[in-house]
Amino acid sequence: MNDEEAVARALDGDLDAFDVLVARYSAVAHRTAAFLGAGDEAEDVVQEAFVKAYRHLRTFRQDAAFKPWLLRIVSNETHNLTRSRGRRAQLTARLGQLAEPYAPDDPEGTALAGDRDARLIAAVRDLPDREREAVVCRYFLQLSEAETAEVLGWRLGTVKSRTFRGLARLRDALAADRVEGGAP
Amino acid sequence: MSPSDDETPRLPEIPAIEAELRRLGDALDVPSPPPADVAAAVRARIEREAATPARRRPLITKPRLAAGLAILIAVLIGATPQGRAAVTSILRFAGVEINVSSSPSPTPSSVIRSLPGEGPVTLDQARQVLPIVVPATLGPPTQVRMADGGRVVSLFWPGLRLDEYDGRLDIVFRKDLGPPWPEQVSVPMGWWLDRPHSITYIPSGGRREIPLGVAGPTLIWQQGRLGLRLEGAKDLTEALGIARSVK
Repeated sequence: MNDEEAVARALDGDLDAFDVLVARYSAVAHRTAAFLGAGDEAEDVVQEAFVKAYRHLRTFRQDAAFKPWLLRIVSNETHNLTRSRGRRAQLTARLGQLAEPYAPDDPEGTALAGDRDARLIAAVRDLPDREREAVVCRYFLQLSEAETAEVLGWRLGTVKSRTFRGLARLRDALAADRVEGGAP
Repeated sequence: MSPSDDETPRLPEIPAIEAELRRLGDALDVPSPPPADVAAAVRARIEREAATPARRRPLITKPRLAAGLAILIAVLIGATPQGRAAVTSILRFAGVEINVSSSPSPTPSSVIRSLPGEGPVTLDQARQVLPIVVPATLGPPTQVRMADGGRVVSLFWPGLRLDEYDGRLDIVFRKDLGPPWPEQVSVPMGWWLDRPHSITYIPSGGRREIPLGVAGPTLIWQQGRLGLRLEGAKDLTEALGIARSVK
């Protein structure tokens, strides 16, 4: 069953068809919520987003793509959450956990890769909110510019400029690290 | 490194950083529950919501009130806590506080949030924390979720939710509604809230209350140390049938 068919059937009240959509997009929805700052509450955010998606399914343009439409809801839910809580703390905790995804049985290689990744993650974390969101959508979630525009509710040109400013800032941050760290 | 440099040409390091970010994104593992569990949880919530507005005022069969038993119930009526002047009466029973007000707070949006730290567990895992009971008429739940470090365990069947918690210690949920009073029932002893009402989770230790949105008709009762909250039954008869089948 493709997305279009599943949406049409869900609109007819077929909850099994909606189950298919939930299962299909659960993982990317969790990634989106976590990377946009939902932290430990990503699971709640995602459930909430799916329930809202079902409730508003009639507003979904059926010639459009389901994934960015859904992720827009996830993004809005995450913003609602982070607005009401300490957003930085949540994201910091999340990215802090993510900075240690390596198995400890390759001490040399992992230490180096882990260090570089940790610095990159720290640099992403320190970006201004909007630039970080653009970078997260474009690269961590690997959304297209058009999808990113839909998910974040921005114009295409805004996505381009914020992404570029974010990348430039990351480059500068990593260059500064290199000078301080004295790596070869 | 001037900060407001919008005319910076695309520098050669940028594509390398883009590639590195993509690779890092792939490597970052975001733990998430099995998709089938998410689908089941979402479905339970959708069905629960669907059950709420459709049956606004079900026909209530008047319960036979056992007046003699009623006095055994811990009821506190007439208190008016500061800051909630509109509240006319409060009842505390089995871990639930019911506020009946002549001007209840405006109906909150239909957003239903989860309990803090809520996640799926097995029945056996839940039973290590609370002496969980299951109504025989419903059979095994389609889903079991535990929240707030085991303070609340929720069992789900399509359209039905049964919350179980320690009903002796402190207030776990607050319910706000307008008059008339909920109906008292006798076997089991409890209270039937026949209409949608707002529900709030009250964390222990004075942490901030969490509005959970609108709950549908609900039966509240106590069994041993357990407080029980059944939501989604279509009328009192069905709710009592389920409650009486608890093992």
